Amino acid sequence: MSAAIEVEGLSHVYGGTVPALEDISLRVPAGRFTVIVGPSGCGKTSLLMMLAGLRTQTRGAITCLGKPIPQPDPERVGVIFQEASLYPWLTSLENIEFPLSLRGTPKGEMRRRAEAMLELVGLTGFGGRYPHELSGGMKQRVSIARGLVQDPPVLLMDEPFAALDEQTRMTMGHELLRIWSTTSKTVVFITHSLTEAVYLADEVLVMSARPGRIIDRITIDLPRPRTYEMMATDVFGRLRDRIWRQIRKAD
Amino acid sequence: MPAPATVRRALLVALLVLWELVPRLGLIPELFLPSMSKTLLVLWQDARIYGHAVLITLMEVALAMVIACGGGILAGAAVGGFARLRNLLLPVFSSLYAVPIVILYPVFTAWFGVGSESKIAFAGIYAFFPVLLSTAAGIQTIDPQFLLAARSMGANLRQQIVRVVIPASLPTVFAGLRLGGALAIIGVVVSEMLTAAAGIGYLVTLNRTILDSPRVFAAILMILLLSIAYYLLSRALERRFVVWQSAGKPLQLAQSPTQSAV
Repeated sequence: MSAAIEVEGLSHVYGGTVPALEDISLRVPAGRFTVIVGPSGCGKTSLLMMLAGLRTQTRGAITCLGKPIPQPDPERVGVIFQEASLYPWLTSLENIEFPLSLRGTPKGEMRRRAEAMLELVGLTGFGGRYPHELSGGMKQRVSIARGLVQDPPVLLMDEPFAALDEQTRMTMGHELLRIWSTTSKTVVFITHSLTEAVYLADEVLVMSARPGRIIDRITIDLPRPRTYEMMATDVFGRLRDRIWRQIRKAD
Repeated sequence: MPAPATVRRALLVALLVLWELVPRLGLIPELFLPSMSKTLLVLWQDARIYGHAVLITLMEVALAMVIACGGGILAGAAVGGFARLRNLLLPVFSSLYAVPIVILYPVFTAWFGVGSESKIAFAGIYAFFPVLLSTAAGIQTIDPQFLLAARSMGANLRQQIVRVVIPASLPTVFAGLRLGGALAIIGVVVSEMLTAAAGIGYLVTLNRTILDSPRVFAAILMILLLSIAYYLLSRALERRFVVWQSAGKPLQLAQSPTQSAV
């Protein structure tokens, strides 16, 4: 399988003195779901921002779909943030249309594509609502729709469900897998939740505390589609346990 | 329980009735508080004089607001948008805001004469600072995540400003404009009361010196109506342009000593 993202010997020094990331190398095959876990402050968000072209690393190379990514490129990479970061002065539909409108997409096409995304994330009929009229889970759905509307092959997600309650979080994880299975995107997903990591991932990368390094790569070979019942199985437990031990060692 | 709006209306009516009755019953001498009917009567008789005075005051307020809003928004955007400028100037502006700017008014009359120019200059500067400070605060307090998200979606600098910075800072800027407008009215009226030959504030002072209480109150009434009209207008504008904020959480104006001493 060809690689959607390749990172070679990436290091980052924060503010000229503080080493934040150290010698990160990774390869995300196209269409795969990769989850990055690690202790707080290990630089996983920084890494994601670099993959998105939103921040520049001190050393090393990032290749995204065969080309470097020195600045954001929404044609290749969509980013979904922890806080849904929807614009409160726009309705759900207008928020989803926002990236298209930046590129002067004709109004009719914009509306059509945004409506389709709204349907994909299960929010048909909520297009006219403002973000403050939506629940946390619904906001993240809109945010996902906004990330998908430009149809980028790569989707980067920075703890998108961290602010949600446990129940909503599980539902959203399940929803995300459903959406992912219909779109065949390459996903890099950051989380604190080990259960979420095992449940979602094809591969889990475990990072150490600062300076962040990748200390383990765990292939999750649970069959798809994943089900809630799998969480109770021994295999699931052993995988989660292995990640946990690595993180504890790293901390 | 009747609705708050009903109670408010009833209170207003009660106040007006008291205004009529208390002087008529001799509880307060008419020199101190002329009755409503007498006040309205002189207002009717001198309608042309009052109308002319209100027009002059309105013109001065409008020009003062153009100076205050235009200058305040531009300067506030510069101070709020550039960290260097902010560190350099914001403390200066904040402390200037606490200065009772009315002390400058005599200087302004010396520079610009006793005509409209000195009122416009004084009220313009008086209203300038809250507009500047709230614009700066509005831009400075924009959630950085908004801009990060815009960049990730490929927004260039111009798009970031037009599509994110401006709408995101609009509620705070509006709050500043509303306060600035109110201060412009105060500034104009006060300066008219101090030294002037025209305007509604001038009518207050003129009639006070000749102890013509009904005419003083007629002028005060006009100023009151002017302020209320302004308030309603600015609310309507705000509702029109800041839908999302008025529907959501209440306005938060950073650094807003609501009104410094005149």
